[in-house]
Amino acid sequence: MQPDGSLQVEDTVRAVLRDVLGLSADRVAEFRADTPLFGALPELDSLAVAGVLTELEDRLGILIEDDEVDGEMLESFGALTRFAAAKALG
Amino acid sequence: MIDRYDWAGGQEAMLRFGPSNGPVVVAALPLFEEANRTRTFAVTLLRLLAERGMAGALPDMPGQGESLMALETLSFLRIQEAFGGVVDHILDEGRAAYALGIRSGALLDAHALASGRWHLAPQDGSDLLRELKRVHGSPWPASAARVEIAGNLISADLLVELEGKQPFAESVTPRRVVRLESDPRPADHQVPGAPLWRRSDPDNDPALAALLADDIAAWVRACEG
Repeated sequence: MQPDGSLQVEDTVRAVLRDVLGLSADRVAEFRADTPLFGALPELDSLAVAGVLTELEDRLGILIEDDEVDGEMLESFGALTRFAAAKALG
Repeated sequence: MIDRYDWAGGQEAMLRFGPSNGPVVVAALPLFEEANRTRTFAVTLLRLLAERGMAGALPDMPGQGESLMALETLSFLRIQEAFGGVVDHILDEGRAAYALGIRSGALLDAHALASGRWHLAPQDGSDLLRELKRVHGSPWPASAARVEIAGNLISADLLVELEGKQPFAESVTPRRVVRLESDPRPADHQVPGAPLWRRSDPDNDPALAALLADDIAAWVRACEG
């Protein structure tokens, strides 16, 4: 992925949340950096978290180690996007 | 129509679709939890194939669906053997069989005498194992004989067998790999759609099923010459 791909990463995170959690396109389009995720979205249970992380890995071509997964990275849409961008863009 | 097939471990049920002659597309659902998430979609896909004049079958693998066999007693090789039993059942009818593998279902047709393999978003054994470990949350003890993952009791031997398993891809029989547009891995063809196998609430996508039914029907006809 290109170094200027942070918007692309954000779009990918949005699409993954839509596809894995079964949210509408309108709903994920409203996600902002401070939109809370884990604990705020009833669709995002621990099984769904595994699906989100694995789908992000597949689409971005990254590997997420288990010890990198914590409440903080899933706290908000911005936190998850920052984490994914750091992984994908280096 | 509900039919049954025999394999070395017993007898299991399978749904049959479409005409009673010509080649049969035999679907293999993904293993474990993803089977529940893709069953309705697979039935839709096989119905649409039948509308296109192509026969289909959806077997219950041992340890899956209505099967009375306990998943924890099965090895991966045994499940592959059962899929071979389904294909043999079709061959005994004097018909050609084509495997339709969805996700890790693409790993099941390795020992089956299929005339071709059509794989949707195939997942290899190592990726599946990685995902199972993630869902399980904590590492399982090396001495465990079976491990419970998202409600499925799976034998530790089967989990070991998964490591390194790849979809069967020899050059003698045709194989076609179809992936979603969001999936960057190599594919012969890409289609728009969402990965239903990731949804915890089973969903369906008739538009995607119709696209795939067109692709499978055209491909099988081309293979049959």
